Amino acid sequence: MPCLSAQSTRLLDILSEELDRNYKALQGKGDPAPYYLAYAVSEVDAAAVTASQGALLSSSARRSRTIDVTIRVGNPKVDNYHSVRGEMAQFTAGVPLALDDSPDAIKRTLWRETDRCYRLAAERLITIKTSKEVKVAEKEQSDDFSDAPPLTARETPGAQDFERKDWEKRARKLSEALAGRPSILSSSVSAMGGREVKYFVASNGARLMHGRPTSRVMLSAQAKSDDGMDVATFDSFDANNAKNLPKEGKLKDAVEKLGKDVEALRVAQVVEPYVGPAILSGRAAGVFFHEIFGHRIEGHRLKDESDGQTFAKSIGARVLPDFLSVIFDPTLKQSAGEDLNGWYQYDDEGVAARRVPVVEGGVLKTFLMSRTPIPNIPVSNGHGRRQPGNEVVARQSNLLVEASKTVSEKELREMLIAELKKQNKQYGYYFQEITGGFTNTSRRGIQAFKVIPLVVYRIHVDGREELVRGADIVGTPLASFAKIIAAGDKLEVFNGYCGAESGSVPVSAISPALLVSELEIQKKESSRERPPLLPAPAGSSTLSASPNDGGVN
Amino acid sequence: MRRRSLILAGLAAAAAVVSAQKPEDDAILLAMREEMARAKTLRLQGVNDQLYYIEYGLDSLHSFDATASLGALIRVDENRARVPRVQVRVGSPEFDNSNYVYTDLFGAARAGGGVPLDDDLTVLRRYFWLATDRVFKGSVEAIARKRAALRNLTQQEKLNDFAAAKPTQLYQSTVKPEIKAEEWKKLARDLSSVMTAFPRVTGSSVDFEAGYGTSYFVNSEGSEYRYPDNLFYVRARASAQADNGMAVRDAAMVVARSLDKLPPESELRKAVEQMGRNVTALLDAPVGDDYSGPMLFEGIAAPQLFAHLLASNMGLTRQPVNEPGRNFPVPQSELEGRKGSRVLPEWMDVTDDPVREEWNGQQLQGTFPVDMDGVVPQPLKVVNAGTLENFLLTRLPVRGFEGSNGRARLPGNFGAKAAVFSNLFVTAKQTVPAADLKKKLIEMIGQRGKPFGILVRKLDFPASGSIDELQRQGMAAGQRGGSSRPAALPVLIYHVYPDGREELIRGVRFRGLNARSLRDIISAGAGEQALHYAGNGSPLPMMGQGGHVALHSVVAPAVLFEDLELEKRQEDWPKLPVVPPPALTSSVK
Repeated sequence: MPCLSAQSTRLLDILSEELDRNYKALQGKGDPAPYYLAYAVSEVDAAAVTASQGALLSSSARRSRTIDVTIRVGNPKVDNYHSVRGEMAQFTAGVPLALDDSPDAIKRTLWRETDRCYRLAAERLITIKTSKEVKVAEKEQSDDFSDAPPLTARETPGAQDFERKDWEKRARKLSEALAGRPSILSSSVSAMGGREVKYFVASNGARLMHGRPTSRVMLSAQAKSDDGMDVATFDSFDANNAKNLPKEGKLKDAVEKLGKDVEALRVAQVVEPYVGPAILSGRAAGVFFHEIFGHRIEGHRLKDESDGQTFAKSIGARVLPDFLSVIFDPTLKQSAGEDLNGWYQYDDEGVAARRVPVVEGGVLKTFLMSRTPIPNIPVSNGHGRRQPGNEVVARQSNLLVEASKTVSEKELREMLIAELKKQNKQYGYYFQEITGGFTNTSRRGIQAFKVIPLVVYRIHVDGREELVRGADIVGTPLASFAKIIAAGDKLEVFNGYCGAESGSVPVSAISPALLVSELEIQKKESSRERPPLLPAPAGSSTLSASPNDGGVN
Repeated sequence: MRRRSLILAGLAAAAAVVSAQKPEDDAILLAMREEMARAKTLRLQGVNDQLYYIEYGLDSLHSFDATASLGALIRVDENRARVPRVQVRVGSPEFDNSNYVYTDLFGAARAGGGVPLDDDLTVLRRYFWLATDRVFKGSVEAIARKRAALRNLTQQEKLNDFAAAKPTQLYQSTVKPEIKAEEWKKLARDLSSVMTAFPRVTGSSVDFEAGYGTSYFVNSEGSEYRYPDNLFYVRARASAQADNGMAVRDAAMVVARSLDKLPPESELRKAVEQMGRNVTALLDAPVGDDYSGPMLFEGIAAPQLFAHLLASNMGLTRQPVNEPGRNFPVPQSELEGRKGSRVLPEWMDVTDDPVREEWNGQQLQGTFPVDMDGVVPQPLKVVNAGTLENFLLTRLPVRGFEGSNGRARLPGNFGAKAAVFSNLFVTAKQTVPAADLKKKLIEMIGQRGKPFGILVRKLDFPASGSIDELQRQGMAAGQRGGSSRPAALPVLIYHVYPDGREELIRGVRFRGLNARSLRDIISAGAGEQALHYAGNGSPLPMMGQGGHVALHSVVAPAVLFEDLELEKRQEDWPKLPVVPPPALTSSVK
């Protein structure tokens, strides 16, 4: 991937020129006139490959530039972004922008998009004003836009050394390890490497260029138990520059483990409904915190009158045990020796990233904020984020769970056993690997606040361990946070992509293992579809369906 | 991931053949054959409806796409994909799991893992193994539900579900894809920069698209095929906003199934320049009004008109078995049930010819060797001396017809394929010299005391606007009592005055224009014009849309209509932008 050339800063000039021209003209002739205009460009250069069982499934490369326009009419107290009855405004469309730094093509697109967004903004402001006059004054009266100092900076994003042809070979080779395994229905090895450069100019004088490289390897395997339940395992590795991804040997070991785990899962015992103590591994705890806790402290959810607002009015209240703190820190580049996905220098509203302690000693201090104020919190704390094509809302970055007192892994285990005895239970659970409704993929939808266990062990009072399948965490997981009784002493990193209201953004969660005194699980809804009727084609080993099922005559 | 994959029915010209892989060595065919042999043994115990037909299809694609505007590249995409199709039929040809509103839902192969790009026999076979398993189980469920649904419905007409066909084998060598990325990027940039000479045209773009494909097919009756299926496509679009806010637009388009048949760059440049001139002229053209009277279609407008009015009406569909209480109306051909009726003047014929390769020195684009059912097509006279004699048929039995004539060129619904034409020849046994048509038009308006007649030289077909625009157009047309079937808009449309003077107008649409209108043709011109385009089976295809497309050619003479209608477009036009457009820094002489 080529390094950033000096020519790319030309784009900032073109953006500024066209922004100034449009802003001046609209202020002069526009009715309503805008009070703020910003152009945000995301330039992506990325490649990805996927292989399965020794064969390449896909290989692609893409270069794109996308423009998002933010225009605000009215005034910071009431503008076109004002939320009406829970409906969030959408103006920008993430339109493709010329890849060449050609003023003609770029300015034309900017001009057209500015006009389109302006007309939508003007229309919506009228709707808001009439609705405001008619309706009874709303409960909360925070402004629609907060002030932020205009920043100028030009940072050169790090290099990306992702050789697609090379990774095609490597993915093929790695995926071959899972070929010919009788119980594995499908599996894949994917690798991707990219670099994003962000450009931001605004009518208040902000001019920013920054960005970062990202790369990832994803491994997955699926199998089907004889009772029809689908089981799957998943693993991933992230690094800024692909040359820092784990070496061949480590990846090979990970693939082997994946295969072994899914084969074991396929024939593992099914869980029974259960309420009782459980240990979450550091990675699992991180996902848990991100899904169950993290989404609830994204500021915009409190502005929305239709939201649950679990933590509304809780500033100063105890939300976690007093030995735990939660910090969001997008300025952190690494933790526990790993590159962090949630690192950035400036958020998507041009606000500088900063460390935000959200919970200190168990007490809620603040929320994650974009430039959209909420009651009692009038300013941004650099967490306004979006995927191109979406409007900005407050989103998570790097979530850090800090424990002021910790115990060793061994002790944590012993404490679990002690708790089991105390509660008169025969066994508890250890969640080694879980995935979030939002955290592993960029799918939006109803999966918020949902965690999906992947690799779970039953821990018996006598210390015996067995793998189980089909566990689903139910009840009110949030209540479990009050029941965290101990933390381990080793931090683990979970890197992922979170897809919520403003699209997919890279995030991470860093946490020690946690012991929870009460977690509720039950058997998840599963497919009843039987395994394949015919054995796998020759060349792979054969695993036929049960002989009573039909199949080959 | 949003990926546009072009799947086509076409035939590459005999270009340099790099790999003449024998069918017995082809990994894809081998994999399909081997899994087909095993799949034939699939049975579910305790179930009456067992499988009687299996079909595997695969399109192996390598495509390249470059879009540019005003000399700058906007998008570049190169993609390799292998797109599979698996169909299983259970029951019998008289009654199976197809033609039911949930056929596609249950029959869809949502297999874990895609088809490999490598010719790895084991992994290829695994794909078909798992996909067939899922589709088979889904088909058994679908037929059971179909039976249950029928218990509460009276069927108007009992048709069989699948028609018989003779097995065929056809193998052609494939061409190795040659992606000339730098050359094509430069072509897109250079062609798009032509538009800098037209500063009033505020929106323009040029797309270059190259799609190399190989189509594979194996079914359980012994049919097999493999043939190359390529597409090269240059699209230019331009638009501007007139003083009253109305969008004016034009487009230029060239398709070819072989790269060496694409016109040279100089010709493409001329087409883009003409497009720029057209849009600029439309900006200054007066707005037209409602009209009822004689109308002349000449130049490219003639084959465009026939494509628009006939194309989607030449295949027949049928209603699927619905769930009781749920109505799922399937749009039917306007010509359905009219076999033996007059649809054109007695001196006109229409033939669909999928075999012919060339016309008047131009490559025909609709030529193809075998359809998606594995049936080899022959030329077919659709309209004979003005009378409708034949429809385009697939293996789907429809009212009045059972038995394919090899026109299944696109995927259809509810387990069937869609029949679309290939190379359509509209011929007139009686013609007059081209100039006389205009004279006749003037004569007719004189007789009726009309101040002017209407001459159409170009339609927006395929449509070059956005999806939003098309939807708005459709709604606006429906409001004034027109059909909600999308109608092509005129691009170059003129008043013709008694002294012969022509005046370009804008802002009008056709009213009540449909297949029946063709009966009102009173005269045809001596020359013929050819239109080549990519369509998706709909009455108004959109330019450059993704998904499955088929290439077509239409050859037709200029035609004069006795009486057609226009209406003034009454849409809410957006206001002109408050901010004037940015000045261009470059301009091309």
